[in-house]
Amino acid sequence: MPMQSDMVLIADMLQFIGVFVSFSIAYVAYRGVRQIESSSLLRLATAFVFLGFGFLVEALVGLDQFVSFLPITATVIVIGGLLLETTGYFFLAFSHAVDVMLSKRLGPVLMLFPVLTLSLTQLQNVLSFFAFYFVLYGVVETVHSYSKNKRPDTLLIALGLGLISSGIFFQWLSLLYQYVGVLSLLQIILQEMGLLILFTPVLGFARRGVKLDDTI
Amino acid sequence: MTQYRTQVKIIADVLSTARDMNVEGNGVGITALLRRGNMSYGRMTKLLSELVGSGLLTELSGDKISKYMISDKGVQFLTAYHSFEDFAQSFGLRL
Repeated sequence: MPMQSDMVLIADMLQFIGVFVSFSIAYVAYRGVRQIESSSLLRLATAFVFLGFGFLVEALVGLDQFVSFLPITATVIVIGGLLLETTGYFFLAFSHAVDVMLSKRLGPVLMLFPVLTLSLTQLQNVLSFFAFYFVLYGVVETVHSYSKNKRPDTLLIALGLGLISSGIFFQWLSLLYQYVGVLSLLQIILQEMGLLILFTPVLGFARRGVKLDDTI
Repeated sequence: MTQYRTQVKIIADVLSTARDMNVEGNGVGITALLRRGNMSYGRMTKLLSELVGSGLLTELSGDKISKYMISDKGVQFLTAYHSFEDFAQSFGLRL
């Protein structure tokens, strides 16, 4: 179907935006690691490096539908991409978990984990579920941070993470149901909107003219 | 709620104190740094020698006690720290 292939192409192009945004955030965080040796920024950089590579793998799989160039089957690579993405979201959640430990309070959302159950029949399903869970945890912790620091940009990041988690939810649905084209496009649009919102702190850096190439 | 400070936060606090309390330009004594830094004497002296060694603080040796002054590199560090603190806080994280 031509319409479906158009949607796949659009979704694929949007994945490349995700790659750019993720690597930009990772770069700024990495400069922070180099300049002030912050472990929080190291976890943030690690998260976005994994996310960037995850989006890149998914984008390449999408391109392969139009120009066949991948040596192994797409399913194996998609699972690899999802694994990278989920690891990225894990590090994002882990950053918040460490923050929670440093502030001597318990992470109440982590306790919900044993309550949630899912069929383990498909690896893709499981990975999407974990990614969804990690981002949701990130949303809750970011909203909690906002309640303390009252910074509008923190609330904006929570909104971005919320959109990403909605995107992952639709990705999960697309694995279970037949409306793959529409759900995939919806997933990518939500995810990319969320990622573009996450890009705002990087823009803030550029706006303030902070030099990133100095080593202290 | 009590919060643990990370090493980078402790360094930023010490450097900020050395900058803000150096009003006369002849450095800040260890007593003032201890009062504002909220840490033990032993830990503070170890940290100060590390900061002097890495060039973030300058040690001004007097007759009896040493005084400390923030260096240009230390000021640079604090500027970078505040920028990245802002960046991390946007993500709801602390440095």
